[in-house]
Amino acid sequence: MSAEANPLAVVTKRSRRRKRVGILMEALATAAAILAIVVLAIVVISVARKGLPAINADFFTKNPAPVFQTGGGIKNAIVGTLIMTGMATLISVPVGVLIAIFNTEFAPPPVAEGIRIALNVLAGVPTIVIGIFIFGVLVVGHGQSAIAASLGLSIVMVPLIARATEEVLLLVPSTLREGGMALGATRARTVITVILPTAVGGIVTATIVAVARGAGETAPLLFTSSIFANSVVTDVHQAMASIPLTIFVDSESPSVADQQTAWAAALVLMAGVLIMGIIGRALSLRTRRQIERAR
Amino acid sequence: MSTRAETDFALPKRARLHFGDLALRGITGAAALTVLIVLIWIAYKVTQQAWDAISTFGLGFLTSSQWNAVTNQFGARDLIWGTAVTSFFALLFAVPISIAIGLFLSELAPRRLRGPVGALVELLAAIPSVVLGLWGILVMGPFLEQHVEPFLNDHFGWIPLFSGTPSNVGLLPACLVLTIMIVPIVSSICRELFDSVPSDLKAGSLALGSTRWEMMRSVAIPQVSGGIVAAVILGLARAMGEAIAVSQTIGGTARTGWSLFGSADTLASRIANQYQGAATALQTSSIAYLATILLVLSLAANLTAALIVRRIRRRMGATR
Amino acid sequence: MQRFRRSALLVFAAGTVVLAAACGSGGGTTTVTKSSGTPTSSKVLTGAGSTLVYPLVSQWEPDYATKAGVTITYGAIGSGGGIDQITARAVDFGASDAPLSADQATACKGCLQIPWALGATVVTYNVKGVPNNLHLTGPVVADMFLGNITSWDDPKIKALNPGVSLPSTKVTPIYRSDGSGDSFVFSSYLSAVSPEFKSKIGASTQPPFSTGTGAAKNSGVAASVQSTDGAIGYVAISYIAADGLNQALIQNAAGKYVTPSVDSIKAAADAVNTARADGSIPLVNPPASAATAYPLSTYTYAIVPKTSSKASELKAFLTYAITDGQQFGPDLGFPPLPSAVVSSDKTEIASIS
Repeated sequence: MSAEANPLAVVTKRSRRRKRVGILMEALATAAAILAIVVLAIVVISVARKGLPAINADFFTKNPAPVFQTGGGIKNAIVGTLIMTGMATLISVPVGVLIAIFNTEFAPPPVAEGIRIALNVLAGVPTIVIGIFIFGVLVVGHGQSAIAASLGLSIVMVPLIARATEEVLLLVPSTLREGGMALGATRARTVITVILPTAVGGIVTATIVAVARGAGETAPLLFTSSIFANSVVTDVHQAMASIPLTIFVDSESPSVADQQTAWAAALVLMAGVLIMGIIGRALSLRTRRQIERAR
Repeated sequence: MSTRAETDFALPKRARLHFGDLALRGITGAAALTVLIVLIWIAYKVTQQAWDAISTFGLGFLTSSQWNAVTNQFGARDLIWGTAVTSFFALLFAVPISIAIGLFLSELAPRRLRGPVGALVELLAAIPSVVLGLWGILVMGPFLEQHVEPFLNDHFGWIPLFSGTPSNVGLLPACLVLTIMIVPIVSSICRELFDSVPSDLKAGSLALGSTRWEMMRSVAIPQVSGGIVAAVILGLARAMGEAIAVSQTIGGTARTGWSLFGSADTLASRIANQYQGAATALQTSSIAYLATILLVLSLAANLTAALIVRRIRRRMGATR
Repeated sequence: MQRFRRSALLVFAAGTVVLAAACGSGGGTTTVTKSSGTPTSSKVLTGAGSTLVYPLVSQWEPDYATKAGVTITYGAIGSGGGIDQITARAVDFGASDAPLSADQATACKGCLQIPWALGATVVTYNVKGVPNNLHLTGPVVADMFLGNITSWDDPKIKALNPGVSLPSTKVTPIYRSDGSGDSFVFSSYLSAVSPEFKSKIGASTQPPFSTGTGAAKNSGVAASVQSTDGAIGYVAISYIAADGLNQALIQNAAGKYVTPSVDSIKAAADAVNTARADGSIPLVNPPASAATAYPLSTYTYAIVPKTSSKASELKAFLTYAITDGQQFGPDLGFPPLPSAVVSSDKTEIASIS
């Protein structure tokens, strides 16, 4: 709608100023978006550049060397993160999905609203406070353990999975539900045989996103699995090494070798998390399209 | 979109009492109940561990700046100050940037770019906080100390914020790391909010001759201002609760002072640093007291945001 | 559809099983969780505490694993943390350079403190243009940490180092922010030689320093000193060589400026022959008769409960530590334990049940 195209438009000093202000604001908004992407690039490139030199076969297959010695890797941390995040996923996926089913199928609206608010509040509890909570309940008197750490991680992951699953369940067209009921199936049967399978893609996406988050959490591990062996541990009643804690401890070390380990571990963690994030996003778009096609 | 499955027609009694239904209702209800139980349990457990300190110091804890393991005197004032300053400046930087990004993604960006650019901004949120902290200590901190802080000190040192000796740790690196964490959260909510503004409102404003910026400023932003407030509060809660990246970049010496340069400490960061190595039982309890304060603040922030969202949804529900 | 139903049911089933296993006792592992104390698995000993002794323990870990098949898990969280953890019986043994205070001993409910290594805390500094091995005295260091001396070209420092050109850089004291045995050694020494330090700050594992910056663990202090021009701090001896830090030569009671080394620490240990009633042997500020002694030497202690479900594993490990384990010491700056200490340790160890 420029002045030249519309002969009736009055071009005044004021309208020129408004236009300039508009262009300035749009430029600032664009700059903000560019700034965010530039910062992302700086962080990712820093981690890649500083971490790559230390990535070799040893890094993944060896345990840490004794203090002040070089060589060694983070095998125990990789195994520990896999086990603890795996256990947390096994706990939080069923719980999260069940909560979502309750909210969409059985709960009266005010109750569902209340549960939703509770989930959001739980998601907002600082993870360091969750660490103190689990410490007080499970570690005092019993010692640190991977189980305690996994439960801490599940508390972080359950709200994420429950919220995302609820969104997917609501997307499932009600025609499917009605169809199931019309055929004489009970609520339960309809949920298990019709609705869940349709929503499975979304649940998988939610799980991937939650796992990416859980694998990178440090605070819940700080008091529950921070005193760990420098070798691989598979007993879940013992504390295990983890990648985030390795990064945390090595990042504050004066030794260049430790810092190098921190960068390389950060690279491994970030690569895993970013890949999972990208897959999760792609899957979520695909699921959304599939469900919308079914409408 | 309703919030409950739209199949509430009356079922024959027979079907309602089916065992499978009862079982599923029971097990899902139990799962939902655990959310409430865990929330209450967290509040209980943390307060219980803090009880020694709460009964010894009472509310004076909030105004005392002592932290002395020898005389067993502890106070949260310096830490509350550190939390307040880091959160305030993080929001100060992050909110304009996030609203700008939200506007960009919602209105300005070419359609094809919106997905990828939005995804990239959200990827910023996917970076684990410990990795951001690592980058903060080893890359951003030294950069600030060698280039940015001396510049600010030389030219603007008369402002209390920029007084003090440049250092590679302190309030400034911590604020910047928090900004990086908050921006993706607030901007993605802002983007959804701006997308939700009815297009007829936007079109009407443009038809009346506003520039795009004027449309956003006078129509879009006011329309969703409540939502933006909720998003900002969520960002605040995130900033207050961040322990790991802040403890890596802030230095750890609690103080109350205006200088952004130089070591300080926050509630969350002190908990992370000192909880396991406290010299006396009262110190451990005092740190749990810090956690209680943090919990209260985060509950207040999250509940406020949730209530704002509920009020907005109710208002919007009338038009859907 | 059938496929999805089965997989969905499987996921729920798996989750319920895991939940039940987590709540119940043991999920297929060979360990048994007792109602009190740490889970007993004869293959693992967990300990936590002193960062001073950590380099030595980390050498013991692989060696002891090969020799005895037992995994030692050690968390270097600082001496204060070690005392906390063993008091809560969250670990099998604690490690601290600072002996238990009377209150801590009561809280620990029958804990032995067994000196299992001999080391030292070293004063370190980082000032552009100032070379290694600066001469300092206890009172001067105390003044720096009290804020009485604020720049490196102070006349008091100049008087001790006539040949060295000192810049006017600001003095930044770096101290341990966590509960630290090195802090205890450092503050005990300064309290012994500076009445003002003793009255204002005193000796403890977490002295209330009024000026400077705090950092957690030895590694944190080392990192902080390295990155701050004008910094002065204190770290355990192993970290000096490993991180290439400067060391200050502190004047001992005999008037000599002593280099912290295996020999000077041994000289300090030789000067003190008797242990206190609680088993601790303080070595700080040895008398003038020990001419070559380093004034900030210290024993570091293993803190173990007198009764433990892992008594035999603990006894075997502690015996290893004070005998075979000592061979790794000298490279890290730890002289071997004097034989008198080893024999009294063995008696203590025998009393663990």
